Amino acid sequence: MPKRRIDNELSKSHPPKRLRTTTSGHKTDHLSSLSNEILLHILSFLSIPSLLTCQRLSRRFRALSGDSELWKRQYFSKWVRPRARRLAIARRTSFPQSKFEYSPRVSTWLDHGHLDRDDRITNWKRQYQLRHNWSQGTCRVTEVEIPQPPRPPILVTFCAGFVFMADSHGGLQVWSAESPESRKAGLTFAGPESQSSTPTALTATCGLETNSIEAVVGFDDGRFSVYTMDTKRLFLQLRFSHPRSAHGAITAMASSYPYLLVVSKHKMLSLYKLPLAFDDSSWSEDAQLVASLKADSILSPMSLFVRVARSEIIASIVYSFFHLGCGWSLGIQELHFDKTGQQIRSRLTTTVDTQHGVVPLPKSRYGQPSAQEQESIDHAHPSALNPAILHQDPPSSVSYSHPYLLTSHADNTLTVYLVVSTSDDLFVKGAQRLWGHTSSVSAVQVSDRGKAVSVSSHGGEVRIWELENLISSFGSQKVSQGDKSIKVRPENQRRSQDGGIGSLSGVRRRELSLSPSVDIRSKLAHVRDCVGFDDERLLLVRDKEYGTQLLELYDFT
Amino acid sequence: MAEDNQNMLSFLSNDGKTIDVPRDVAERSLLIKNMLDDIGPVTEAIPIPNVSENVLNKVLEWCTHHRSDPPSTGDEDDSRRKTTDIEEWDQKFMQVDQEMLFEIILAANYLDIKPLLDIGCKTVANMIKGKSPEEIRKTFNIQNDFTPEEEDQIRRENEWAEDR
Repeated sequence: MPKRRIDNELSKSHPPKRLRTTTSGHKTDHLSSLSNEILLHILSFLSIPSLLTCQRLSRRFRALSGDSELWKRQYFSKWVRPRARRLAIARRTSFPQSKFEYSPRVSTWLDHGHLDRDDRITNWKRQYQLRHNWSQGTCRVTEVEIPQPPRPPILVTFCAGFVFMADSHGGLQVWSAESPESRKAGLTFAGPESQSSTPTALTATCGLETNSIEAVVGFDDGRFSVYTMDTKRLFLQLRFSHPRSAHGAITAMASSYPYLLVVSKHKMLSLYKLPLAFDDSSWSEDAQLVASLKADSILSPMSLFVRVARSEIIASIVYSFFHLGCGWSLGIQELHFDKTGQQIRSRLTTTVDTQHGVVPLPKSRYGQPSAQEQESIDHAHPSALNPAILHQDPPSSVSYSHPYLLTSHADNTLTVYLVVSTSDDLFVKGAQRLWGHTSSVSAVQVSDRGKAVSVSSHGGEVRIWELENLISSFGSQKVSQGDKSIKVRPENQRRSQDGGIGSLSGVRRRELSLSPSVDIRSKLAHVRDCVGFDDERLLLVRDKEYGTQLLELYDFT
Repeated sequence: MAEDNQNMLSFLSNDGKTIDVPRDVAERSLLIKNMLDDIGPVTEAIPIPNVSENVLNKVLEWCTHHRSDPPSTGDEDDSRRKTTDIEEWDQKFMQVDQEMLFEIILAANYLDIKPLLDIGCKTVANMIKGKSPEEIRKTFNIQNDFTPEEEDQIRRENEWAEDR
């Protein structure tokens, strides 16, 4: 040891000369004489910064330090194991002795199965970097200006890396999020009917085939058209149009392949099953109506959500309503259908109890199965107390992706609820305000993995939330109020010249029909939904002053 | 020679030296342990073709000090990996020149002495930690085979992880 010390000291006292001039002498590179196997073992003890430093040593070290298995372990210990520990504490359940060991089988990791696909090799370094960037809010933003913005505003949705836009002039257009500069495919709304009608709702879902996306456009005359996008060949095709209905304009849609949930202006809720894609016999076949019912409780702003459980299709409608004691609250109606379209049950719950801070005990049974439209909300709550969470204004947006329910508010906050849906019961567990925004929050979007993105009215602020941590603290009463969100910091954007700030406000398109008594800064132009995000990207549509629309794409890779 | 004693073995290093070893010390090496389990009592000196006498002595010194350690289960793989802490005796033990250090690692790998291999690798990892690429190259005499452009590109690619 003393020998090496001295060597080091010596080399440090020298001015940093070129390495090559000093090496050629007596010393040999013992490290590089080791086998890859042993070197990988050494590298496995290093931290991320050291690993990245090693990539800069030489070609061989670059390859070794970038080894996917090394990064897989790092990914696990940074993003998976801490979660397992938290969850174990929160649920007080049994990961044996809260010991959760690394396993090379990703399917055994919590909720990471989507990263483990047989058909492709996961680049774990890239995955790690992606997570890291999300956690830091680091991304690159690309702006695409939409020329001559149509009236009413363009509809946009985001699915599997593709951006779908619909408007009456341009029809349905598809852009790849990877290269938003050029349009990938497009179709105008053909046919005589289409001339007069305007698209009013848009949804997209991954199809059965790996490379297909089903996009559905709803129109103001009650029609809807189903398109298939082949993401490999970049080919968009109209499959069929469902004829107009008497229920009026389609106001909202949600889809989970092959099911489509449609809400029309006359408060009609319909569930359709789409014919299987690329099955020649049924290629142009119409959507099959599974169930339809009148739903009086649908008030905007609302959020629709469809999920397919084992043997059931669960359609959820989240809507806001005004409760005398609680101010604006949310109601959740959950409709269960079996695969034949038979309605199994309908359940209703509200956030009123949780806003009072009451954690409901699991009730034995809520209502009768198949009772239509239960309006028996538990209003009889003994609420002389003021609710812990009281909203005087309606939420500016609602997003529901089971089990997470989020609302955004003009008072700079978000509220998160956890929805519990078991075979016996449906209730809302826990509610918490989220602080972090410094101006009124205009839109929020949540994914089923608990990541949420919210946008501030004044357009300048986008925040990322990891809700899982928050949710797991619900049970323990010890709710930490710390700043849990990450502000998105685009590396390549100059904020200083953003003259549009201040002229942007947060009104979601669907809310424009709200009563004027509500304090919406309606004279301002509006930022619309934060449209969507996936594992890699976040998409935002903004209305700028003087009617320009801007599509902003935040890339976290 | 120790043929009369069941509890003694002897090793033959690659430079032709014979070293007597108590059996429990020798069995820290899984290679030796498995071999003995397979073929039963051995009377001859066991040749260790890849290891020289001085390295073998060093390795056996470690084995002697750790002769009563519980056998590693392999379960704690992850928790061990988290820390590059090395206990004090082992740290002192590893205060050798680089050539010896890498010889020990190679011998531990060949003889299948996992805890010793880990300590060796951790020692090397500790020598890498917190250094700049240039410092690491200097420490180990690694030849930089990148062009300046390539090096710059890799640096930029990896900028994301730098602390801000």
